[in-house]
Amino acid sequence: MNQETEKTLAFFGRMTANLTHEFKNILAIIQESAGLMEDIMAISPLAKDKYQERFNNSMNTIKNQLQRGMEMASRFNRFAHSPDHNSAELELGETMVHFCTLTERFARLKHITLQADSQNGQEIKITTNPLLLYMVLFYSLDACLSVLPAQCEIRLISAKKDENAAVEIACTGKQAPSPEQFFTGLRQSNAWGELENTAEQLNAELKCNTDDLRFYLILK
Amino acid sequence: MAGEVNGKTAIRILLVDDEEEFVTTLSERMEMRGFDASVAFDGQKALETLKTRVPDVMVLDLRMPGIDGMEVLERVKKTNPEAQVIILTGHGSYKDEEQARRLGAFDYLQKPVGVDTLVKSIQKAYQQKIESAYAAEPSDESQR
Repeated sequence: MNQETEKTLAFFGRMTANLTHEFKNILAIIQESAGLMEDIMAISPLAKDKYQERFNNSMNTIKNQLQRGMEMASRFNRFAHSPDHNSAELELGETMVHFCTLTERFARLKHITLQADSQNGQEIKITTNPLLLYMVLFYSLDACLSVLPAQCEIRLISAKKDENAAVEIACTGKQAPSPEQFFTGLRQSNAWGELENTAEQLNAELKCNTDDLRFYLILK
Repeated sequence: MAGEVNGKTAIRILLVDDEEEFVTTLSERMEMRGFDASVAFDGQKALETLKTRVPDVMVLDLRMPGIDGMEVLERVKKTNPEAQVIILTGHGSYKDEEQARRLGAFDYLQKPVGVDTLVKSIQKAYQQKIESAYAAEPSDESQR
């Protein structure tokens, strides 16, 4: 197995493990809510009236979790199809929302908020390699999570930079490191090396704004 | 030490998971089965709870914000080795299971788990706790 294949498999492994973990949580909540309804009914058919509110709550929980599961499954399915074509047309803002939904749990585990945004709400269409784009976004996120403390925020903003489509990665937070510490930490992280290599494959330029905690992936 | 439910001695359990709906509902179901159940939504809260209320059995998730389950397990086994810990997680890595068992986890269960399977595991863990406590007591002969 060559190095590129290994890298891609490792990326897919992390994404898949994360998403199946979310699915298991969803299934566990549905199972317990349905189980509680069954327990209530097993006490006596009349118990349903006594516990009507709890019964209804469990029913709503099941419906909400089904919705959460269906959305996650659709996004996961779309992600799984990303290696199908070397080139596809994407709307960048929508792709950011999609990516953030898939990876929000990585940030949540570190008490960090991850958010997708778009510059002036404008639509930006790009033709690119979807898999490599996901990979550069993932390594960007991974690098940021390795240096930011809890309670910070990471925003992935679809933007235009010098006439090119770009992703702006902007980090903020009261406890956030100084720009110097931030960029030193990023460059020392394993994810940053992977990011540089993959950005090159994607023909994207990596540009750091060392005045604050912000860098850009300029898609050419 | 076991608690009380409806005047009867009950196995005291602490359920630790950041999926609040899951752990709250599971707690209700455990109470319906005669356990004295309480919940914590993260590792830090679980460790704080231990200072005032040591459970007989802790049911612990691994991946949680802040202090993760593996660290909670390690600390619990240092401060309250008598408490039995069952890992209940959506994380299926062999390495994690191996590490958890090495750190002293009584059982390693995958989410979603059937309630009967969990109840049986809790009862076995409690039994183990009782047996360990008897084994640790000095025998009559050694007291003479």
